[in-house]
Amino acid sequence: MTPLFQQLVLGLLIGGLYGLAAAGLSLVFGVLKVLNVAHGQLIMLGGYGAFWLFALRGLDPFASLAVVIPAALVAGGVLYWTLFGWVVRAPEETRVKNSLLIGFGLALALEAAAVRLWTADERSVTTGYAGAVLTVAGLAVPVVRLASLALALALCGGLHLVLARWRWGRAIRATAEDWEAALMTGIDVRRAYLLAFALGTALAGAAGTLVSVGYSISPSIGLEWTLKALIVVVLAGLGSMLGTFVGGLVLGLAEAVSATVFGGPYREVVGLVVFFVVLVARPRGLFVR
Amino acid sequence: MLEVRGVEAAYGPFLALSGVTLTARPGEIVALLGPNGAGKTTLIRCITGLLRPRAGGIRWEDAPLDRVPAHAIVERGIAVVPEGRRLFGAMTVEENLELGAFVPRARPQRAARLEHVYTIFPMLRERRRQITRALSGGQQQMVAIGRALMAGPKLLLLDEPSLGLAPRLVESIFDVLREINRSGVSILLVEQNVQAALTLSHRAYLLEAGRVAGEGSAAALLDDPRVRRAYLGPLAR
Amino acid sequence: MTGRRSRALGLATAAALATVPLVVRRDDVLNFLFLVLLSVTLAESWNIVAGYAGQVNLGHAAFFGLGALTTRALWIAGAPVLGAMVAGAAVAVGFALLIGAAAFRLRGAYFAIGTLALGEILRITVGNVRAEISTLPAATIAGYRLAHRYYLALALAAAAVAVVAALGGSRLGLGMRAIREDEEAAEASGVGALRLKLLALALSTALAGLAGGLFAYYHISYYPAHPFSPTWTFDALLITFIGGVGTVHGPVLGAVFYVFLKEYLAIRWVDFHLLIFGLLFVAIVLLLPGGLVEAAARLGALARARVLTAIRK
Repeated sequence: MTPLFQQLVLGLLIGGLYGLAAAGLSLVFGVLKVLNVAHGQLIMLGGYGAFWLFALRGLDPFASLAVVIPAALVAGGVLYWTLFGWVVRAPEETRVKNSLLIGFGLALALEAAAVRLWTADERSVTTGYAGAVLTVAGLAVPVVRLASLALALALCGGLHLVLARWRWGRAIRATAEDWEAALMTGIDVRRAYLLAFALGTALAGAAGTLVSVGYSISPSIGLEWTLKALIVVVLAGLGSMLGTFVGGLVLGLAEAVSATVFGGPYREVVGLVVFFVVLVARPRGLFVR
Repeated sequence: MLEVRGVEAAYGPFLALSGVTLTARPGEIVALLGPNGAGKTTLIRCITGLLRPRAGGIRWEDAPLDRVPAHAIVERGIAVVPEGRRLFGAMTVEENLELGAFVPRARPQRAARLEHVYTIFPMLRERRRQITRALSGGQQQMVAIGRALMAGPKLLLLDEPSLGLAPRLVESIFDVLREINRSGVSILLVEQNVQAALTLSHRAYLLEAGRVAGEGSAAALLDDPRVRRAYLGPLAR
Repeated sequence: MTGRRSRALGLATAAALATVPLVVRRDDVLNFLFLVLLSVTLAESWNIVAGYAGQVNLGHAAFFGLGALTTRALWIAGAPVLGAMVAGAAVAVGFALLIGAAAFRLRGAYFAIGTLALGEILRITVGNVRAEISTLPAATIAGYRLAHRYYLALALAAAAVAVVAALGGSRLGLGMRAIREDEEAAEASGVGALRLKLLALALSTALAGLAGGLFAYYHISYYPAHPFSPTWTFDALLITFIGGVGTVHGPVLGAVFYVFLKEYLAIRWVDFHLLIFGLLFVAIVLLLPGGLVEAAARLGALARARVLTAIRK
């Protein structure tokens, strides 16, 4: 039985990152009704940001969050101004579809640019403490991944607080629910969109940093992470950041179980099948709270 | 104070307003009456900046209003209680009210105004931590009015505040509106409940098929046999 | 372009391409043209569902892959290649109809991400079940004739263009476009939306399956999961959008442009074509929804107007 439990521990650890990846996508999707399929590529770039800071400046990857997150905020703002801000003028159905197409083009361009900048090789940030392992009840818990899980939870919780307490956080939630009513209460909806997109990108950057520490990055990981985030968003629904985080944990555990039962190569398939079934079962349900 | 002059507005090819002219003066309650589809809500959408008039102009405090972006209208002192209330249903009562004071002009007094709204609607104080969607229709209407008051408006627009409410509740809502007006807030009221609206307001406009079909003091309109026939029905006193 | 003129131009192009193997004896030219023709077929097949029925299918590679998988297996087992390709198309269509009814419950972007998931499910599964590389037997390699592949590709591309052109003027195509514009309104006026969408998907996946079969017939060795890779879908999508989605000529124009850029740039810079095409694609979605075909039409109109004013002067 130990292999299963060991798998579950590892599944839980990566599940936290799934949750963090999904939180950013969910925020953007829920508020702007824009499906950014380049979210995974933004995660990938966040990972390379941390990798660069470590390789060139020797900055500890966890400390580099303090650089990556603000940089990603700015990058998100730029992406909104140059690309996604154009899409939000369209009615909702066109908006989702066009955003999907734009995200797709952006994903290709970012991936190609990353290959150029960092080659197609797999990389990861290997710190001095990378190999540290905690043993709890006979189960191995890699310390770096445990720290990543804790940080992912802290970031999701932080976003929750921002949305609950901050004046513009509430404006973002109001915009997500009913943008016309938000306009009528005097909220500059465009600015709420911009902020939500920038926050979503910042979360992607943070997720990428954590991925580069405990796991590995390469230019092609984008699609995989977009899919993971989408699966979690579909499973957890929109509206609650902590719910999304829990959804990520559930996906991590489900993958662990399926890897044990069906074999390692199938760990991804189960999530995708569930995703498709849930999607078809409630084809218009994603926006329904 | 509010001047609507010759406003035309359309949804695509469908002309909803064809030359509407009306005014609301400081301290007035003006009712906007008319059947469904007459263009009442369209006019409210024009004033709140959600729909741009195709022709004509809207002026507010001697400055054009129809070029002001929708989110900046509240800052000018015009707040709206929209049709169907349009509350943020997943948020609490208090969050909804505080969002009413989102604009800079309302922020300094928001604690005092919140207290004021809770004095007008004590029920809301009890339910301030509840999710708005879980409230009854009447309570939601109170939140909607409270949210608009939080902006500290000089002019309050109300679109069908009595819709779907029990008669007793309508009466108490209208009492509240009278109180709000006495404190110096002008009111533009869109209503289907003509009797109640004319009893409350000082003046009224009759809107039919996108144009003004009649106007006058509320008392005169209440006595006008045509109005009585068309809006109040044969059974009206 | 009028129907008759464009048909004549199409036939002339096909005839000219048919003489290429007789005139040009260079494999690299034939290989290049083969890739263009394969891309035309794949893009036109994707165009049927996207351009006419308005659904962005991000799982298109699954059908290309199924065609390749089936064709390769039957052909290596001794079946004639054309029969094997038809069987491959049949499998692709069968799978399409199996999942189509469920997938078409999804609208717009949800259809796109749902089909993306389906494609990935198939790719991962095939990669696991058939992990070893598929190589042709030595005897087959010895008898390999590039020209055969080339003519097959030409015939298939011509057929794909003809199908899309025929669809454009037909009642069927009209119904599909009605769905693209407004599904509810189309239903209300008696267009059976689901039936038409399934028909579009069947046509589209039949062509994709055949293209997959051609891929299996062309390549000497490849990993069986490779034709299931989402990059095939992305290629088709990029080519179609950049050329002009919902047009007959768009995918042809897009394919020539795409393959040229890809082959030319690959020499000096890996994947650089994707950077260019990704950015170009974004620009087209934002600024020029009609793609290159629309740009050409606009330029043509502009030039004509210039000429006319010049004449008047």
